[in-house]
Amino acid sequence: MNITFPHLGNTYIAGKVLFEGLGVEYTIPPISTKKTLEIGCLHSPDDVCLPFKIMIGNYIESIEKGADTVLITGSCGPCRFGEYCELQKKVLMSLGRQINFIVIDEPSKIGIKEFLNRLSSVAKESKLSTYKKAKALNMALKAINLIDEIEKECRFYAGYEKNKGEFSKLLKEVKKEAIEAKGAEETLKVLEKYKEKVDRVEIDLFKTPIKIGIIGEIYTIIDSLSNLYIEDILMNLGVSTKRTLYPSWWVKNTALSALKINKSPIYKEAKQYLKMCIGGHAQECVGEAMLNYKMGFDGLIQIFPVGCMPEIVSKAILPDIEKKYNIPILSLVVDEMTGEAGYYTRVEAFLDLIEGRKKVCI
Amino acid sequence: MYLGIDVGSVSTDIVVLDEGLNVINKLYLRTKGRPIKVIQEGLLHLSKFYKDNDIKGVGTTGSGRYLAKVLVGADIAKNEITSHAVAAINLDKEVRTIIEIGGQDSKIITIDNGVVTDFAMNTVCAAGTGSFLDRQAERLEIPIEKFGEYALKSSNPVRIAGRCAVFAESDMIHKQQLGYDVSDIIAGLCSALARNFISNVAKGKNIRPKVFFQGGVAANIGMKKAFEELLNMEVFVPEHYDVMGAIGAAILAKEQIDLGQKTSFRGFGIYNTLIKPNTFKCNGCSNMCEVVELKEGEIKIGYFGDKCGRWSRIAV
Repeated sequence: MNITFPHLGNTYIAGKVLFEGLGVEYTIPPISTKKTLEIGCLHSPDDVCLPFKIMIGNYIESIEKGADTVLITGSCGPCRFGEYCELQKKVLMSLGRQINFIVIDEPSKIGIKEFLNRLSSVAKESKLSTYKKAKALNMALKAINLIDEIEKECRFYAGYEKNKGEFSKLLKEVKKEAIEAKGAEETLKVLEKYKEKVDRVEIDLFKTPIKIGIIGEIYTIIDSLSNLYIEDILMNLGVSTKRTLYPSWWVKNTALSALKINKSPIYKEAKQYLKMCIGGHAQECVGEAMLNYKMGFDGLIQIFPVGCMPEIVSKAILPDIEKKYNIPILSLVVDEMTGEAGYYTRVEAFLDLIEGRKKVCI
Repeated sequence: MYLGIDVGSVSTDIVVLDEGLNVINKLYLRTKGRPIKVIQEGLLHLSKFYKDNDIKGVGTTGSGRYLAKVLVGADIAKNEITSHAVAAINLDKEVRTIIEIGGQDSKIITIDNGVVTDFAMNTVCAAGTGSFLDRQAERLEIPIEKFGEYALKSSNPVRIAGRCAVFAESDMIHKQQLGYDVSDIIAGLCSALARNFISNVAKGKNIRPKVFFQGGVAANIGMKKAFEELLNMEVFVPEHYDVMGAIGAAILAKEQIDLGQKTSFRGFGIYNTLIKPNTFKCNGCSNMCEVVELKEGEIKIGYFGDKCGRWSRIAV
């Protein structure tokens, strides 16, 4: 068995640590590029959401490198993501690719027995003792938390750095070194080294950079190909950005929700607008908007793919928050047809708008 | 004096402002897909009136702003939304709403106390923008400058489906074949496009007077009238409506220079040099940006198109 998985931000680094720790054969899909998207679009239904297309592109590029099993998370709905695994299986089968899917759904949806059953189909590939398997899993969790923490810090403090470009350079280096490191332990060491480095970067807390919260559909805000590298662009412009929805957040949130002990303030804040989960991360989007406002952010950028039902709902809610709390919000809708020029023009104009407001102290 | 250059999809506008920010020279040129050549031609024309050291600062805007910035050595490159707003606010402090329709995009900008509060731009459809009207004028064999006059002549505008450029055109052809008067069709088209703008681009935006209408399409008095009827308020077309973006860029350049920056203007002389763009893929990270390098003869004069600033930050 040669396992692959679609890209989602930094998960590939955690995946590498996990499978190397377990001693299971794996393939990391090449980093998503325009070519990945092209392959994905060619084989996907035209009006399916953007993440589906990029994921198909990831699978096909991985299969070409030798993968035969796809490991993904599921959701059993209510949004289209719940249908991804079935539809993706069909797409790959129609292309004549023999490939297995292991779908990790929430235990509450598929039952704890089936959940463990699916997990063991991966774990039984490893010849290590149960203790060592648990250790590998623990290392993977550590890795995703570390790399996400590094990224978060780099993106937020980019507006405060003394020497421009330092955080952006470190962020690029850590990802490169982590993926080149041999073995799970080595990779973790690289991450720990960079965490220290990032903590030591000189910052000037007297600076007052523009602070922007990135909210919206989880995949498109994490995956930089689909959001046209918005965080890199903002970082380069000296803007501090904050995004809560990272893969590490998802792991923690899902685990806590499964145990019914999730006390995240996001849901409390979202409650006045959206009481229940309508699929995707609409509640998180609304809750995050409120939290970011309370934390004194200057503006919010919401990003979601064309046709994303949950985010269309939250987009309809955001103008109310914008008006009531006087915080500017820019909604950007992306798909493979998104024109770069118009996209960046909007982002730049949005920053000017915020700067103008800051000048007159609104 | 300050130079403002707006490189748009259809036109390239160049203005010269004096210290009091008054327009003392303006050029409205067709871009025709060759921005470098058009800018060079514009500068050649201006070089007859001004010397290099008359120009204290240069600003660029429009979709070709980065190219223009490197080409002329501008001090600032700003997006067209901000530039249009700056120009309008500078002209009239009372302005609260700007309707801007250019060659391929249309925008609405709302302003409060001289600060931009909200904006929107057309996303999926270019119906109602300059190039669409251009094409219709051509098809009806009416000079585009006369388009508005025809609309005003109409006493009974026909209803045209204006949601999408393709359908609008087929609906117009259909109405022509039914024998409707050309001026009634044009008036109908103008109000369809105004309706489309208000319900799509300006959806959910608070339109309050005073309303400015700028961009190339503002030349069309039929469109102005259509907006006035639809909004039930007076719509003002500023004197230099067609070059407002360039004016804004020049004003922003002045602000930049007033902060103590020295201009990096490369002089009018660039009109007779051979400037060549060259694109390459940067392999610095997985983003694989397509970077554009501008070369003057064999000398590299600058880069743009990268996301992280690795290339565009290089001062050549």
